[in-house]
Amino acid sequence: MLNDLTGNEMEKSVTTFHTIVCIKAVVARAPRGKIIRSTENNRFNPFDRPALETALQLRSHYGGRVTVLSMGPPANCAVMAEALAMGADRAVLACDPALAGADTLATATTLAAAIRKLAPCHLVLFGTRTSDSDTGQVGSQTAVALDLPLVTGVHALSPAERHLQIERTMDHLVESFEVDFPAALTIRPEIHSPRDIALAGLAEAFDTPKVEMLTLADLDLDAKETGEPGSPTRVLAMRPCEHERQCQFLEGEAVDLADQLIRQWTQKGLLN
Amino acid sequence: MDKLLADKHIAVRRNVRTFCERELRPIAAAIDQEARFPWEIVEKMAALGYFGIQVPRSLGGAGLDTVSYAIIIEEISRVCAALGLCVTVHNSVAVYPLMAFGTDGQKERWVRPMAQGKKIGAFCLTEPDAGSDAGAVSATALADGDHYILNANKVFVTNGGVADICLIFARTDPAAGRRGISVVVAERGLPGFVVGDLEDLCGMRANPVSSIRLYDCRVPRDHLLGRCGQGLQIGLAALDTGRMGIAAQAVGIAQAALEEAVQYARQRRTFGAPLENHQAVQMMIADMATQVQAARLLVYRAAALRDKAEPFSQESAMAKLFASEAACKVSDAAVQIHGGYGYSKAYAVERYYRDARVTRIYEGTSEIHKMVIARAVFQNG
Repeated sequence: MLNDLTGNEMEKSVTTFHTIVCIKAVVARAPRGKIIRSTENNRFNPFDRPALETALQLRSHYGGRVTVLSMGPPANCAVMAEALAMGADRAVLACDPALAGADTLATATTLAAAIRKLAPCHLVLFGTRTSDSDTGQVGSQTAVALDLPLVTGVHALSPAERHLQIERTMDHLVESFEVDFPAALTIRPEIHSPRDIALAGLAEAFDTPKVEMLTLADLDLDAKETGEPGSPTRVLAMRPCEHERQCQFLEGEAVDLADQLIRQWTQKGLLN
Repeated sequence: MDKLLADKHIAVRRNVRTFCERELRPIAAAIDQEARFPWEIVEKMAALGYFGIQVPRSLGGAGLDTVSYAIIIEEISRVCAALGLCVTVHNSVAVYPLMAFGTDGQKERWVRPMAQGKKIGAFCLTEPDAGSDAGAVSATALADGDHYILNANKVFVTNGGVADICLIFARTDPAAGRRGISVVVAERGLPGFVVGDLEDLCGMRANPVSSIRLYDCRVPRDHLLGRCGQGLQIGLAALDTGRMGIAAQAVGIAQAALEEAVQYARQRRTFGAPLENHQAVQMMIADMATQVQAARLLVYRAAALRDKAEPFSQESAMAKLFASEAACKVSDAAVQIHGGYGYSKAYAVERYYRDARVTRIYEGTSEIHKMVIARAVFQNG
């Protein structure tokens, strides 16, 4: 459905250029390995903010609208409201007990179903990763589920009339792409510093809540495809990890010290 | 604590903290030492709505509630109390009286640019011989045709060095005693409007506190705020709100001092163990944390009452009294935990200790607040 947007349709719908930004409410702290999803403990994933900033800047160029999309419990509404306060036009939360316990595949399945509901759209943006589970998979998996062209790790982007000029760095090479719409991109944080949220935006977003909820039924999904049943992977246990630090003083002449450092780093696998 | 707050308040705190940590933290010690007003940050704050926190959005403000306001002042002050002072004074005792007592025309003319931070406000009550005793002001605003002629010597004006719009408390009727005091708005740049030298203060040094002197300043009659003779009523209403801001500021300073003390107590070792393992230090930290939390609750309670349009004067006086005393005790204890280092400008607690002291003095001393509270207690039985 998304790929049905041809150049002509693009022209027609250029005033309603639509970007969907997938965002996550990440968990700030998990004391003793226990995850609590609450407004106090949720944060707007810092890696998603530059993606939303990118969408807002593209809206300044193309006009149109920006939708933020997320999956999670009702406690995530505060993060969605922050995204609205930052400038998104619409916030949609896929929220249903049947979605709980999702791994990246079930999450991507859910997001893809929601994006189909929110189509037509020209761009689907993701951060490159999340600050809690940090798999970096959901963007790519969602694009595949939607059969959308995908560029990952975008660090620079400039809008042209009917396409985007895009750069990403891989293995010390800068790759340049020209990407037609529709497309999916995962955005690296260095692309833009996200704007600060104005106080008036916060007041408005929280005083007149307008986060829309999508249930499993709204998404036309089977419970077997989502949440824990739809997740081929399982987290068996979580435990805090200990970071052991050692301090070692090296002695000798500078050249000798450098040799010692290089030898030690090589032995530890930090250099090769 | 946050359980008592709405999601909006949590989001406000988080966003303000992020901004202050990124923008203010790196320069807070330097602007204190240089006694420099950080225009570059003030302009960013203005664009984000910090200068019209409770002004309706229709007048260019952020349209937030009083609890949000308290949180914002607390968070700015946690990093830089001098800028917290600038923002709270502008919002509470300059913008608020204009909102509460101003005509629509006055709001459009003054509140709109103030809410956008294009103009900074000041509250000019204190004189060399009048402060706590507000009825003793000797400034005059005498009618002369369509104008008032203002003569005043106002001292310790917070934001004085940068203020564009000043609320001047002056006698419009010198024979009428306390009932002859009115508020007249004077704008910077007026002939006869003189900003004195900046005060060289112990703390709050990044705030340009100065005197403002008016020599035969002619202002149109429509610069009168409220009614003739309503000055003290306006002043008291402004201070009810203002003292809540100062209380929030004191909570911010105390919180900052507590955090520094905790961090230092974890890393500094004496007698073979970190300070945090010594019971003497634990006792101090427990007292400090309790003071901070109690002060914060009093401030939020006063703010919540104001949001519900219930009387809050007594509660805000209690919050101001308790929080300012707490800020002094907590920052003093933080210096003590740091030992000699706490007396050095190399450590932030030295600044917090200096900044905290004035919270017991301005916008009503602790002693004046005790009078206010005692009066309310006896009245309410």
